[in-house]
Amino acid sequence: MGAASDNETDLIEPDMMEGIANVVAVDGSVAWLEPEQTGSCGSCKSSGACGAKGIGTVASRLEERRFPLTSHPGLKVGDRVVVGVREDALVQASMTVYAVPLLTMFAAGFLAQWGSGSEGMTIVACAAGLGLGFVIAHLRARRLSAHGKMAPRFLRRARIGETCQIE
Amino acid sequence: MREYALLVISAALVNNVVLMRFLGLCPFMGVTTRIDAAVGMGMATTFVLTLSAVLDWTLETYLLEPYGLGYLRTVTFVLVIAASVQFAEAVVKKVSPVLFQMLGIYLPLIATNCAVLGISLLLVEGKVDFMHSAVFAFASAIGFSLVMVLFAGLRERLALTEVPRIFVGPPIGFITASLLALAFMGFSGMSAG
Repeated sequence: MGAASDNETDLIEPDMMEGIANVVAVDGSVAWLEPEQTGSCGSCKSSGACGAKGIGTVASRLEERRFPLTSHPGLKVGDRVVVGVREDALVQASMTVYAVPLLTMFAAGFLAQWGSGSEGMTIVACAAGLGLGFVIAHLRARRLSAHGKMAPRFLRRARIGETCQIE
Repeated sequence: MREYALLVISAALVNNVVLMRFLGLCPFMGVTTRIDAAVGMGMATTFVLTLSAVLDWTLETYLLEPYGLGYLRTVTFVLVIAASVQFAEAVVKKVSPVLFQMLGIYLPLIATNCAVLGISLLLVEGKVDFMHSAVFAFASAIGFSLVMVLFAGLRERLALTEVPRIFVGPPIGFITASLLALAFMGFSGMSAG
C-alpha cells in the first residue's frame, strides 16, 4: 500500500493508504483482486536474478494474496484500480498478530521463572504463552474484521503508468 | 529486574543492531521509503527474530553443545530461521486471512535478513540463560524497528525537499543514515558513565 497522493479522493479519505491491484475475476457483485508487486523488489537492479522469487514475492504469492471487493462500480477483468485501507489499520494489524503472542510469551516465561526457577519450565511456559497469544490474536483479528476496519475499499481506477512507489 | 532494563537499553539503543553492529542493512535501505512499510517490516522482524533466537538458543544448549555438533551451528540456525518465517506466515494466515493480505508481503524478506542470524550467533557467544537471551533478542529487534521507522520518517520528508541533484536518491539516504548513526553514538556514553 502506498502513501496517499494528492488527488480528489484524499480530500474525502485523508487517512487512507493506497495500493494498486488488478481485477482477476468478477463473480456477481464481488470482484476478486490481486495486489501489484510493491516494495523494493520492483526497483532492484538484481530483480531478474533474485532468489527471493523462489520463496515467492511475485507470481507464486500473488494468488495467495487475492482479496474480494464487494462495493465496486462495474469493474471487469483486467482493470487496474487503486484500493485503500485505513492508515492506522496496519499498525493495529501488526500489534494484533505479532505483539500479542510475544507479550503473552514473555509474561508466561517470567511467571514460570520466578515461580519455579527451572529453565525447562520456563521454556515450556513460553511455548504455552505463545500458543495462548495466538488464540487471543485470532479472537481480536476476528473482531477487527467484523468491524470492517481491515477491509480494503475501492478508491478509483488507476491512471496509465501510475504506481504506488515513492521515488 | 534492573538487569533486564539495562539489557533492553543496551541491546536496543547502545548496541543498536543496525547502526552499531551494521546488521540488517538491506531492509534498512530497501524498505524504508514509507513509514507504513517500515512498521510492517519492523514488527514482522521483531516476531521472527525473537522466535528464532529462542529456538536457536534451545537447540544450541540442549543439542549442539552437549553432543559436540558445533560445526553444524550455522546451517542449523539458517534452517531454524527459514522454518520460523514459514511458521509465522502460516500463523498469520490462520489467525486472519485479511491481515495476511496486509502483512504477508514482508515475511519472506526476513529469511534473508542477516540481523536474525547475527543475533542468534551473538547469543551463543554470550552464554546467558534462556530469559536473558529472549529479552536480548526482543530488545535488539525493537532497536531494529525503531531505527527503521525513524529512517522511514526522515526519507519521507527528504522525498518532499529540494536536494542537490547529485545527492538525490541513495546518496542523501546514506548521508542521513550516517547522521542517524552519529546520533545513536551518543547512547554509548551511557555505558561509559
